[in-house]
Amino acid sequence: MNLRRILSAAAAALSVCVLAGGIALAQDAKPQYGGELVYAQAGEQFSLFPGRNLDSGAQDVWLYACENLVEMNEDGSVSPLLAKSWTVSTDRKKFIFELQQGVKFHDGSAFDAEAVAFVFNEAKAKKFIYSNILEGFEAAKAEGQHSVSMTFTSPFAALIPNLAYRPLCIFSPTAYKKNGEQWMATNIVGTGPFIQKEFSKGEHIRFVKNPDYWQKGKPYLDAVKIINVPDPAVRSALLEKGEIDRTVRLNDFDLARLEKNKDVKIRVVPSTRQYYIALNHMVPALAHVNVRKAFNYAMDKAGIVKSVFADRGAILAKAPTLSEGVYGYADMRNPGEDTIFPFNLARAKELMKNAGYEDRNKDGIVEDVKGAKLALNLFTRRGGTQGDFQVAQLIQTFLKDLGVEVRIQVLESAAFGDAIKLGPTDAKYDMALLSWGIPTADPDEPMMLFTLTQAWKPVGSNRMFYSSEEVDRLSMLAHSEIDDAKRKGYVKQWMGELLRDAPVVYLPVLALNLGSRSYLHGDRILSVDNYPAPFAWLDKDEMKKQNIRR
Amino acid sequence: MIRLIVGRLLFMVPAAFLLVSFLFALFHLIPGDPAVMLAGDNAPRSVVEGIREAYGFDQPLHIQYGRYIAKVFQGDLGISNYTRDPVVNSVIPRIINTAQLAFLSMLFAMVVSLLLGCVSAMYWNRPLDKFVTVVSLLGICTPVFVTGLLGIYFFSIYLGWLPISGMSSWRHFILPVITLGSFQAAVLTRMVRSCMVDALGKDYITTARAKGAPEFLVVFKHALRNALLPIVTLFGLGLGHTLGGSVVTETIFNWPGLGRLMVNSILTRDLPITQGSIFFFAMIFILVNLLVDLVYAWVDPRIRYD
Repeated sequence: MNLRRILSAAAAALSVCVLAGGIALAQDAKPQYGGELVYAQAGEQFSLFPGRNLDSGAQDVWLYACENLVEMNEDGSVSPLLAKSWTVSTDRKKFIFELQQGVKFHDGSAFDAEAVAFVFNEAKAKKFIYSNILEGFEAAKAEGQHSVSMTFTSPFAALIPNLAYRPLCIFSPTAYKKNGEQWMATNIVGTGPFIQKEFSKGEHIRFVKNPDYWQKGKPYLDAVKIINVPDPAVRSALLEKGEIDRTVRLNDFDLARLEKNKDVKIRVVPSTRQYYIALNHMVPALAHVNVRKAFNYAMDKAGIVKSVFADRGAILAKAPTLSEGVYGYADMRNPGEDTIFPFNLARAKELMKNAGYEDRNKDGIVEDVKGAKLALNLFTRRGGTQGDFQVAQLIQTFLKDLGVEVRIQVLESAAFGDAIKLGPTDAKYDMALLSWGIPTADPDEPMMLFTLTQAWKPVGSNRMFYSSEEVDRLSMLAHSEIDDAKRKGYVKQWMGELLRDAPVVYLPVLALNLGSRSYLHGDRILSVDNYPAPFAWLDKDEMKKQNIRR
Repeated sequence: MIRLIVGRLLFMVPAAFLLVSFLFALFHLIPGDPAVMLAGDNAPRSVVEGIREAYGFDQPLHIQYGRYIAKVFQGDLGISNYTRDPVVNSVIPRIINTAQLAFLSMLFAMVVSLLLGCVSAMYWNRPLDKFVTVVSLLGICTPVFVTGLLGIYFFSIYLGWLPISGMSSWRHFILPVITLGSFQAAVLTRMVRSCMVDALGKDYITTARAKGAPEFLVVFKHALRNALLPIVTLFGLGLGHTLGGSVVTETIFNWPGLGRLMVNSILTRDLPITQGSIFFFAMIFILVNLLVDLVYAWVDPRIRYD
C-alpha cells in the first residue's frame, strides 16, 4: 500500500467521520452489553454455504458466524482478522499467513493452519463458486500449527482484498466433513462472535452470543435475529414503529421522510455496483463500436438518477465499471462533463449515421444499408436489482428517441439467471440490463472476469462476448503487477480502453442505504453491499425513552 | 346425503391424480436441467451426475412419472433442495398458519357482510344503503397490499396500537385478518344485499309480516335462509381466493404461511417445495368445494332429494 492510497483512505475515513457527526460521537460512548438486535433483510438467503452462494444477503447473514482471514473496512482498506499478519515472497507467488491462536470453531474443533488449508484446497477441488477470484491458485499448505501458505502460478496482486470477500470465510472443516455440503446450506459453523441457533428458510435466522469468542469482551449483544421482509415499505414501517432495530434497501423515496424522524438514522453511501446494459457483440449491429457509443450517449443518466432513484439511490458514473472506493479508480470524465458518455442525443444520432444506421423511410426507426430495421430485445428482471424495470422502460424510451425499437422481455429471477449464463452461440438476448458489483473493492475481478476474452460466458462473466487484445493484455499485467503505481497505471489504461470500445452501455452507480434506530451503535455500512453489526450494541436507556420493550 | 358425500369424495381421486400429473409436468417443463438446478452454480460435473442418478433423472420419463405418482400417494412429496427436510415437514406447519389466517379472515368477511348486507337491504335505496354500497365498492376496488399498507401506517405507526410483523399474539392477527378479509367482506356484502333485497320482496315475507312476525325474525330467519344459497357458493369461492390472496398478505405482514413459502420456493427454485405448496393449496381448494357442496345440501333440501 503506497502513501497515496493510505492518504486517500485516511481522507475517506475522515469524511465518513465528519458526515456521521453525532453518530460517531455516540459510538464513542461505552458499549453496553445485552439485548437482541433485530435486523430486517430485503431478500431470501439461497444457501448459507459460502462455497455455493455469492448472494450479498446471505453474506450479510453468515458474517455473524463465519470470519475471514482479513476484513474490509468502511474506507476500502483491509485489516487483519483471523490472520494476524502475512508476508509475501519476493516473486509474489507465495503468501504466508500467521493465524490467531486460541480460536475455536463453534463445533469445538480447533481453528488452525490445517483448517485454513483445507478450506482453500477444497474450494479448488470442488470448484466453489468463488474459485474464479483466486485466479492461478495452486495450493494451500500448513507450514506450522498457526502458519499457512498459499501459492499461485503467477504473482497475484489482489489476493489480500480478495480474501476479505465474505464467501471466503473459514468454515469448520470438521462440520463440513461430518455433515456434507447440503447440511452446510442451512447451517453455518465458523469462528464468529455468534452461533447459529434457529433457521427457518425465507423467514428468519437467529444467532446467540458465542461465549468462547476469541476477541475478549466481544460481542456486546446477546443475540441477533435476522428476518426477511421483502417489501421496502413494510421495512420502513417496522423501523419507524421500532419493531426492528435496523434494515437495508429502503425505498429512495422514503428516505427524506425517515430522516425527519429523530429516532431513526439513515446512512447512504455510494456502492461499488454500477448498472450497465450488456450488449451482445454477436448481434451485427452491436458489434459496431459507433452503435455502442451512440447507445451510451443516448442515455439520459441524470434523468434516470432523478426519476428512478429520487436523486438518492444512485449517482452518475465517473469511470467505466469502477467506482469511488475501488482500488485504482480514477475520474475518467472529460472536463466539464457530469458523467462518462454524457447525454447527447445529437451526437448519438451522428454516430448511428456513421455506423450506417439512418431512418431512411421516415417511420421513426433506423434501418441499415440493406433497409433492415434495427429492433432489439432487452432482457431484464423486475425487482432483481433496485429500480431495474423502471430503468429498462427508460432505456426503451431513450433508444426510441435514437430510432431503435426495443422489446423488453421481463423474466423471473431464476429464468433470467439461466438466460444470461449461456455462451455466444446460445445466448438469446441482444441486450441485458445488469449491474456489476465489485465486492472485493479491487479491479482484479472485473478485469479478469468481466472484460477478458477468456471470460466469455459460460466460463466467466463476459456476457457481451467482447474481445480486445489490448484490454486482455492490460488485465493480465495488472493482475500480476507488484508495483503499486504501475498497477494503477494499467488499471487506468484499461478504463481508457473501455471508454474507447464502449463494450457496454454505462449507467449510474447504485447507492446503498442503511436505516437504524438511534439507540443502535457500532454497526457499519460498506460500499461492497455489506452491513456488518457483529460488534454493535444497544443503548438501553435510549430504548426505554423510545418506549421499545422486547 | 351419504351418496352425495361418497360421490364427492370419489371425485377427489381423479382430481388429485390430475393435479399430481400436472405437478410432475411442471417440474419437467421448466427450462433447465433439474440436476444442475439441485447441484447449484459451478457444481462439478461429478456432483451433477450423482444427483441425476440419485434422483432418477437419468431414467425414461414414464418411469420417473410412475415413481413420482407412487411416492406422492405414499405421502412422499420429496425433499427441499436447500433444507433437505421432507417437503411435508416444511409445508404442514405453514398450512396451519395459513389456515388460521384464511379461516379468521373469512369469519370476519362473513360476519361483516351478513350484517352490512342485511342492513343495506332493510334500508334499500336510502342513505344508509348508499353508504354501505360506497364502502363495499371501495373494498372491492382496493388491492390487498394497499389495504395492508394503509392499515400498517394508520394502526401501527400513527396510532401505535397494533404490531406489524409476526404471529406471536392475538394482536398480531388483527391487521392481517382485516386486510385479507376486507376484499371478501366487500364482495359478499354486495351479494348478501342483492339476495336479501330479492328475498325481502317475496310473497312469503309479506305473509310473515302480515302475520305480525317481528322484523328481526322476518329478515334474519325467513329472508336470510332463503337468500343464503348463492351466498354459500360465493363463500366457497371466496375461501379459495382468500387462500390465493394470502400470498400478498403473508408477504406484507411477515406471516410464516404457505403462500410465502411458495413464493420463496419459486424465487429460489426449490421446486419440490413449490410442488408441495401447489399440491396442498389445490387439495385445500378441492376440500373446501366439497364442504360447500355439503353445506349446499344442508341449506337446500332439494339437492339432498336429487
